[in-house]
Amino acid sequence: MSDGNGSSTLSPHRPELVSDAVPSRRPRWIELTTSGDHKDQGRLMIGASLAFLVLGLVEFVLMRAQLAVPQNTLIEPITFDRLLSVGQTTLIVLFAVPFAIGLFTYVVPLQIGARGTAFPRLGSFALWLYLSAGAALYVSFAYTPPEANFNALPPLSEPAFISNNGVDVWITSVGLAVLGMTLQALNLTVTLRRMRAPGMAWRRLAPFSFAGAVSSWLLLAVGPLMLAALTMLEIDRHFDGVFFDAGEGGAPIYYQHLSWIFFTGCYVLMLLPAIGAISEIVPTFSGKPLFSRGAVLASMVAIPVLGVLAWMQNMFTASIPVGWLYGAMLMALLLLLPLGLTFYNWLATLAGGAIRLRAPMLFALGAISTLAFGLAGELIQAVIPVNWLLADTVAATAETAYVLVGGSVLGGLAALHYWFPKMTGRLMGESMAGLSLLLILVGVHLTFIPMFLAGLEGQPVDAYRFFEGQGLDTYNLIATIGSVVLSIGILVSVINAARSASRGVEVGPDPWHGETLEWYAPSPPPEHNFDVIPDVRSAEPLRDIRDAVLAREGSSEQAEQGAPVA
Amino acid sequence: MLGPESAHSPNAEDLNALYWVMLAIAAVLALAANAALVALVVRHRAVRGRSARRVRSRGRAQFIVAGGLTAIAIVIFAAGVIVTHSASKLDSAGADGLQASRPLTAQRTLDVPSGDPQPLKITAVGQQWIWRYEYPAPAADQSSSPNPSAPAGTGASASFPQTFSYYELVVPVDTTVLLTLDSTDVLHRWWVPGLGAKADAIPGTLNQTWFRADEEGVYDGASYAFSGAGYPAMRTRVRVVDVPQYQQWLAEQAQGIQKGQAFVQAQLAEGGALVDNSEGDEAPGGSE
Ligand SMILES: [Cu+2]
Repeated sequence: MSDGNGSSTLSPHRPELVSDAVPSRRPRWIELTTSGDHKDQGRLMIGASLAFLVLGLVEFVLMRAQLAVPQNTLIEPITFDRLLSVGQTTLIVLFAVPFAIGLFTYVVPLQIGARGTAFPRLGSFALWLYLSAGAALYVSFAYTPPEANFNALPPLSEPAFISNNGVDVWITSVGLAVLGMTLQALNLTVTLRRMRAPGMAWRRLAPFSFAGAVSSWLLLAVGPLMLAALTMLEIDRHFDGVFFDAGEGGAPIYYQHLSWIFFTGCYVLMLLPAIGAISEIVPTFSGKPLFSRGAVLASMVAIPVLGVLAWMQNMFTASIPVGWLYGAMLMALLLLLPLGLTFYNWLATLAGGAIRLRAPMLFALGAISTLAFGLAGELIQAVIPVNWLLADTVAATAETAYVLVGGSVLGGLAALHYWFPKMTGRLMGESMAGLSLLLILVGVHLTFIPMFLAGLEGQPVDAYRFFEGQGLDTYNLIATIGSVVLSIGILVSVINAARSASRGVEVGPDPWHGETLEWYAPSPPPEHNFDVIPDVRSAEPLRDIRDAVLAREGSSEQAEQGAPVA
Repeated sequence: MLGPESAHSPNAEDLNALYWVMLAIAAVLALAANAALVALVVRHRAVRGRSARRVRSRGRAQFIVAGGLTAIAIVIFAAGVIVTHSASKLDSAGADGLQASRPLTAQRTLDVPSGDPQPLKITAVGQQWIWRYEYPAPAADQSSSPNPSAPAGTGASASFPQTFSYYELVVPVDTTVLLTLDSTDVLHRWWVPGLGAKADAIPGTLNQTWFRADEEGVYDGASYAFSGAGYPAMRTRVRVVDVPQYQQWLAEQAQGIQKGQAFVQAQLAEGGALVDNSEGDEAPGGSE
């Protein structure tokens, strides 16, 4: 999309009318929560998902407290089952996925040079569906919280076995959240397709926006399947349905397939935003472009495809013809290619760089380190015979948790630290960031290495107690201590974000010397994001702009500060 | 400590062997990535007067890495298929075992051919929250040489009561046991560490696993699928004994069950109170 005369990337080609300064007539909080601005929606999603992360951690620590010693009676069995069901649902459906979507909602339009999303009201609707989902789940503590685990598998979730409203609460909550996130994925998909700045070809997309595109396609694929499964389950429960009733010609395994496709998608959604964010942060703080961008972007497409096709690796113990299982194993093992290539290219980006260890970079490095352990653990589990040993022991929980912490938590926090100055105009406190990262890294190993070892000894997953004399006592005690360290570490970052929003060090629009378009906008950006939308001529549009400024002004001052130029 | 429970069945040996290989591969990959990460960050910290080298990627390095990773994945896949196959194949019973069963190629749902040497077929039924084991009647050739403790008056095998036990599965040593899994209510998952693979028990579909315990003793296991409030209590035990002990136990168990049934029958015959509800509307007032 280069224009013939090529004088500058800065001159506005399209006259745009922008009015921004209309004073609001309603209170601030109403303006914020009803806003059509993707930045308000994104910030609310991020804030809410971090709040749910804290709730999920509280539930996790309570469960670990019950499992600190054998045959503990600290927490009632039914309460444990409820904490288990609500806690895991919270961490996956109310934290990991919305945190990813919230970050994409905020960052993607800025990165692609758009003035908003394609369907601003749909974004608002999605936000409210998500908040309602969280409310539905937590209000149920006042009457009947769910108790059928995070996936509510039938027949257990059929009224014959759990007749109370807990399962219905779970169906409602997960349904609302999935619907909201899927609609927002649709919004982002259309935004990415139709509203990119001139010259912003797919191959020039910033890695995080590319991850946003792939994540949205993924949610559009797996979200409706989960909604279908939930609907069928509800029909089974209340309208004499027989979809999953083995006695009436249905089969519970259909639900297993549908829900595992969805939850495998969620698992990939723990990875993709982290991969996208790391692929921007590592280059920025190494002072080098991403090594082999094309390979990383291609990997981001391959990961959800292979990952979701491997959903049956969660069902290796089921009565499924072995050929299907081999197929799932092959897909899961082939993930080694895109994931390994991505890691290799991150490392190659570091090589020869001038690495600045600022907070976002530290979190990105912590995420890479933790993901290496988690994904290696997944590789072990991908092999059918080894899976027969480890599946459904606490070792499997430990491996998934490594990916949740490495991807959603550390990768997500890296993204938050990186774009926080864009959202607020202020930096997050660096010393609190360092403390948080240290505690998280110590906590994750302290919690999940002992849990892996306990799983090898055969400790079953999801049980409210374990028994003495099986060599599990020490492992569980250490894991409980670790879970406290881990949770405090995460909490420090959440507090840091809340504090820094008003008290952080003020910075300009481009504190990290980034190469992508969002740093071209002021911090925080105005409602319309950009006064002038520049033409994009490479994958590093801001570098082009700096060069243009340099050529025009003959001075590096302004480029150094990264001030918006127009 | 880093490994699974020691194997006491041929298929468990397969599983454990592949576990160690995979653990080694995973550990090398994870530790190599972390070591490289630390080394690169230490080496390339920004210092004054040195700027980053803008190296463009070379295609060749990508292809070498990609090829290497794909090769690893394919080799692991091949090993996974081979070990899955071998762990699913029922070995024949050992020298001290109950019956010499011929090797069978097994899928997860085995279709065991009829014919001479058969494995010992036991059904494990999961129910909230206990395992029930159903044993076969002694084979015809064994009943021809009557066990001294066999219940007197056992007529045709049809009248031989189904022998069952709860919680504890008793099996003869060195004998191939084919375990068919079923459930009467929700999803359960059977596994005894050291004795092979986990397998689901779900209503409506039969599933199978097998083991051949190499040593007499007691092996503890559990249910590995969340099945509601009593799930952690759903444990199980496999007691491995020698063949005569097994046959004696089976006969005693059968005798005990028969005694119990006879007792119930007598009670039913005496007092009519227990009889009438067995037919007709057993749930008065309830809708169908
Ligand atoms: Cu069970």
